[in-house]
Amino acid sequence: MKLRKELKLRQIGKDYIIVEPGQDKVDLSKVYTLNETAAWLWEALHPQEFTKEEMVEKLLEEYEVSEEQASKDVQKLLDIFESQKLLDENYK
Amino acid sequence: MKNETNPNPSVLQSFYYSIANCTLEVQSDTEIDLDSLLPSFRDFRTDASQVQSSISNVLITKERFDKPSTGAKLLSDISIVWGNRFKFFEMSDEYVTTIMSAHSPGTWFMTSKKDFSQSTIHWVYDSVAPKEIVSWLLMVTFAQSALLHKTILIHASVIERGTEGYAFLGKSGTGKSTHSNLWLEHIPGSKLLNDDNPAVKIEEDGTVRIYGTPWSGKTPCYRNVSADLRAIVRLKQAPHNKMSWQSGQFAFIALLPSCSALRWNQDLFASMADLVEHIVSNVPIGELECLPNADAAYLSASEIKNA
Repeated sequence: MKLRKELKLRQIGKDYIIVEPGQDKVDLSKVYTLNETAAWLWEALHPQEFTKEEMVEKLLEEYEVSEEQASKDVQKLLDIFESQKLLDENYK
Repeated sequence: MKNETNPNPSVLQSFYYSIANCTLEVQSDTEIDLDSLLPSFRDFRTDASQVQSSISNVLITKERFDKPSTGAKLLSDISIVWGNRFKFFEMSDEYVTTIMSAHSPGTWFMTSKKDFSQSTIHWVYDSVAPKEIVSWLLMVTFAQSALLHKTILIHASVIERGTEGYAFLGKSGTGKSTHSNLWLEHIPGSKLLNDDNPAVKIEEDGTVRIYGTPWSGKTPCYRNVSADLRAIVRLKQAPHNKMSWQSGQFAFIALLPSCSALRWNQDLFASMADLVEHIVSNVPIGELECLPNADAAYLSASEIKNA
């Protein structure tokens, strides 16, 4: 998998956001907010190719969390990345 | 009228305009006098000798636009200013902006390089209100090309007071001009800097200034002046007056919709987002729920003073 290269994580004050310009005729640009862990993972993964297992590994290295919990959290985050189309379509 | 040594012998006129310290070069091979065509630009004229480099070059030409429209992708046909007379296309190496002339058969075409460093406007001779159309097309070119020079055109009404400037944002019809007028009436020392399209620039030292431009909506206020941008306030109509200061994502989201970058151009959009990020990190951003009354102006003035 790969996160879309052109999406840039921004820190504004305490918040982490990603701005996605809408491509339709009507402006439906989106601003995503990420919590600190998701933002840390995003920075660790962007813009290389990665697997779900690598995400779990990274989480385990950085955070005090069981492997089971890390795996669950990663799947949740991936589901969101997938449904919001933040993953590069060419790397599935 | 000036006749500089020009590589293009058919160019009759070449004018330079300095807007927010960004130079726009406008050339024409028509007989139309640019000074009378663009009255709102007069205060921004600058001498060729003062110009180091232009952010964009615009040629106004009498040549017809005759490129085939095959391969052109329609990106937008929505415009508050032009209604259904406007269309915006992408081609392989340029953008094409078109405005149908009102009450006459001609259509205005502007072709622009992808970074808007160069545009060509094809003059329609029998057009009604060519001034408004040319001025607007120049605004489109300026707004996009300036993004790569730390300058962003925003939709706002701006009050200048002493050395400071305050920008009021809001959707069309919210009452930006009304709120500025309340300041002019009730807050001593207030002046209107621009009523619709000021430029915000991040200076070399990182400070944020706001500049007047040749575009100001329905209010003729085309002043070549600037002020230290001390506050940006998004207005919302409400049955009461209440100010709340925003930070982080909320400050970003308050400013973003009032900025103009092509959503279809990654480079320009990314530049805009970078500028917005810098601005909201350095200038207080507020939201004012307000009535159109004097108290609204008193409240925003005192809140901004303490911000």
